[in-house]
Amino acid sequence: MMDVELAVNGRQVRKAVDPRTLLVEFLRRELRLTGTHVGCDTTQCGACTVLIDGQATKSCTVLVAQLQGRQVTTIEGACGEGGGLSPLQECFREHHGLQCGFCTPGMVMAATDLLRREARPTEAQIRHQIEGNLCRCTGYHNIVRAVQAAAEKDAA
Amino acid sequence: MADVVSPTRPSPLGQPVPRLEDARFLSGRGRYVDDLVPHGTTYAVFCRSQHAHARLTGVDAAAARAMPGVLAVLTGADWQAAGLGSFEVWSPVRSSDGRTIEPQVQPILATDSVHYVGQPIALVIAETLYQAQDAAEAVEVGYEPIDPVVKPAAALEDGAPVLHPAVGSNLAYEVHVGDRKATQEAFARAAHVTELTLVNNRVTANPIEPRALLAQYDEGTDEYTLYASHQAPHILRRELAESSLRHPEHRIRVVSPDVGGGFGMKVANHPEDPAVLWAARVVGRPVKWTCTRSEAQLADVQARDHFTHCRMAFGPQGEILALEADTVASLGAFQTRLGASIPAQFYSRTLIGLYRTPAASCRVRGVYTNAPPVQAYRGAGRPEAIYVLESLLENGAREMGLDICEIRRRNFIPADAFPYATPLGLTYDTANPAGLLQQADRLFGYAEARRRQKAHNASGARTRIGIGAACFADCVGTPSKIMAAYGRKKVGGWDSATIRISPTGKVEVLAGSHSHGQGHATAYAQVVADRLGCAIEDVNVIEGDTARVQFGWGTWGSRSTVTTGMAIEKAAAQLRDKCTRIAGALLECAPQDLRRTADGFVTAGTDRQVTWQQVIDAAYQGGALPDGLDPGLEQIVIHDPPDRATSSGFHFCEVAVDVGTGRVTVLRYTAIDDCGRIINPMIIEGQAHGGLAQGIGQALMEDCVFDAASGQPLAGSFMDYAMPRASDFPFFDTGVQETPCPSNALGAKGAGESGTIGALAAVRNAVVDALWDLGVRHVPMPMTAARVWEALRAAGAGT
Repeated sequence: MMDVELAVNGRQVRKAVDPRTLLVEFLRRELRLTGTHVGCDTTQCGACTVLIDGQATKSCTVLVAQLQGRQVTTIEGACGEGGGLSPLQECFREHHGLQCGFCTPGMVMAATDLLRREARPTEAQIRHQIEGNLCRCTGYHNIVRAVQAAAEKDAA
Repeated sequence: MADVVSPTRPSPLGQPVPRLEDARFLSGRGRYVDDLVPHGTTYAVFCRSQHAHARLTGVDAAAARAMPGVLAVLTGADWQAAGLGSFEVWSPVRSSDGRTIEPQVQPILATDSVHYVGQPIALVIAETLYQAQDAAEAVEVGYEPIDPVVKPAAALEDGAPVLHPAVGSNLAYEVHVGDRKATQEAFARAAHVTELTLVNNRVTANPIEPRALLAQYDEGTDEYTLYASHQAPHILRRELAESSLRHPEHRIRVVSPDVGGGFGMKVANHPEDPAVLWAARVVGRPVKWTCTRSEAQLADVQARDHFTHCRMAFGPQGEILALEADTVASLGAFQTRLGASIPAQFYSRTLIGLYRTPAASCRVRGVYTNAPPVQAYRGAGRPEAIYVLESLLENGAREMGLDICEIRRRNFIPADAFPYATPLGLTYDTANPAGLLQQADRLFGYAEARRRQKAHNASGARTRIGIGAACFADCVGTPSKIMAAYGRKKVGGWDSATIRISPTGKVEVLAGSHSHGQGHATAYAQVVADRLGCAIEDVNVIEGDTARVQFGWGTWGSRSTVTTGMAIEKAAAQLRDKCTRIAGALLECAPQDLRRTADGFVTAGTDRQVTWQQVIDAAYQGGALPDGLDPGLEQIVIHDPPDRATSSGFHFCEVAVDVGTGRVTVLRYTAIDDCGRIINPMIIEGQAHGGLAQGIGQALMEDCVFDAASGQPLAGSFMDYAMPRASDFPFFDTGVQETPCPSNALGAKGAGESGTIGALAAVRNAVVDALWDLGVRHVPMPMTAARVWEALRAAGAGT
């Protein structure tokens, strides 16, 4: 076991963990942050995407032990003020960018990272950004629309 | 009473109401089965067959049982010793000669033999997941391998290995639909005949949430509770009670909380369900099993897998005279509860699509192969049928030098010819095929696209552009009587709803369907709000819990709106009538003189009104009710559709094919959907997008590949099974035509599968169109770069 201390959604967390503990297991099992999902076992689906120091990262492929002193943001920490939906999340709702909701947290986190880096991403940039996030329900159409709308709203 | 009469609330029907369920999904507060971890949870891991076909010489669990943390290792012998049961086929298919070949179902845990890689042999329950995984590796299984049957067509060859010796061959049934004699006569006098041999590739649903189970057993009450990611909890409960677990049904509760996609796969009977539930009783603690993705590639039921010879006879003007198809359909190693009837009934009867076809005939032979069982997957038989029909039609058109739109116009069933009885035993209620094409053309710009294509393909560019189309009819919401005629002896066509208006005016809807992404919580609320005149936000839709909801058949086959939706419509209308009668009594006027306002009821032409809450108070207090009305506001309705609803659609696809590499890029895709009257156009559009993506995915990249010699699956994870990604698609151009369904008050038809039904053929036709001048007549699915390149080489046009 080893001690690890990191910030999750702005709160300091200190826990003793098995060194082989993946970040996604740590989030789901230790912290009960179940909004981060697991949809595969080969780092293909992106349902587990979180932000590490602002950068979208698949939490199934990171050991929590690597994250000493880092900042992790999950979907639970991505909401707007007062726990309501953020402008990006609102755009997903308005544009029907989700159906079953399982890939949604990962999609929101991947898009958050893109919008941080690119204020007005092109359609191609959006599709490239979420290429590592699989969705089986939407055909991606309305997810791309939602991200475009969020960028426009942000620029307005 | 208010002084001012408030206006009527505008109807939410037909409005793109944002979904009520979205906020929890967007903020990480969805509740999927794997999110649940009750105190004392233990973990199950399955030990699965490593061979496609083998006799089992022994299962030795002694070493595994001694591993750290292991609570139990359960084998097929243990299952049998406990006197537990097996699966049952709910829709046995009788062959056309009257024979019924005993359907072969898979054992919950294999004992003597295994028939596909991944078939469950034992399960280990341990304190932690890792301990269970380690112990599952220690279960020793002895195999004597047997040659497998891999391709469906190989199943019927002389000398093929036989999966189930008790049956004597790999044939599960042989069904003929249509008129063989009339069809052959039509071919004899045809001006032109087009023939094709087509393979419909085996694919898997792959919802992003894998299957998951959490099982509990209460010794005191003798009650099982199974949390399962499932589309039809009541079907699962009945199966557990009656067939596999054999436990009294009223002592089993199945709960399906949020379900992360299903697409038909999560309706099937999977052996993990009874096995894990039983394990909870054996170890006396909650048992969780969450399928991994790589495990899902082995253990989930799969779909399609047809091999078809087909031909179409044309008259001198390109008019269809007849269609004939001869299909071998793999059922996998065993029959599922309902899967065998998909090729036998739903595929064979859909084959003529939207075309006047004087004669048609189809033979389907269902066969066993050493692969996971086949079950419904988005479209279930109809994508396979339309792939056959529309490939033949467009190849025929090109062979005869006819334009692909012109040949369709010449063959469409005219809008005034509905209801239309097909030669394959269906009657379409309503459709407007020519209108669909007209609308699709308006979005797609067919003539302009052809001009651009011609210029591009003549320019010497490395890519060639192709344009293809497909259209279809899809009959949804099959009534119980027709289900019975198909031999679906244990499946009703009806569904149910209970609506409760609470004492404070909030509305609960208990629905027999189960949303797994389709937005029922919103669409149903729109129906209720329209009929009751209440706010959408005051309606809460409850599904997926056998302890809360009356029996319902769940969500599959594009059926929810036309069955459950109609039960909700009727229940809401009945409650509104009751409320109107109560209001009439309170206002001392006839109910027909009342008008519903946003706040309550007003007597027409006056300002005399009662509020909605006053009516509800009267209903619950009971003393002021008129004679013949009981207190309370709760209504249950079972709705059995009087007829099927015929959805239809038209698709255009434009692709670019790189002649050097074979790579196909979808440039544009237009789909017009006619699903009758629309409740929420935003949801309908989303259903179209998702359906298209799954169809295009099958056409271009998805494939459950098996090694031809060993039967080993070669697409065992998302590394190998090509799932479509955001960069694989353009934006889709979708539109609707609304031809109301005549047999239900909502005018609604089905929408969930339409995108997929047309997409296989439209993409295939576009690729063939691009390469037709180079001599290519067909490219098998999935039309990967390698397949296209091979087709070009075979046509003498490759580089």
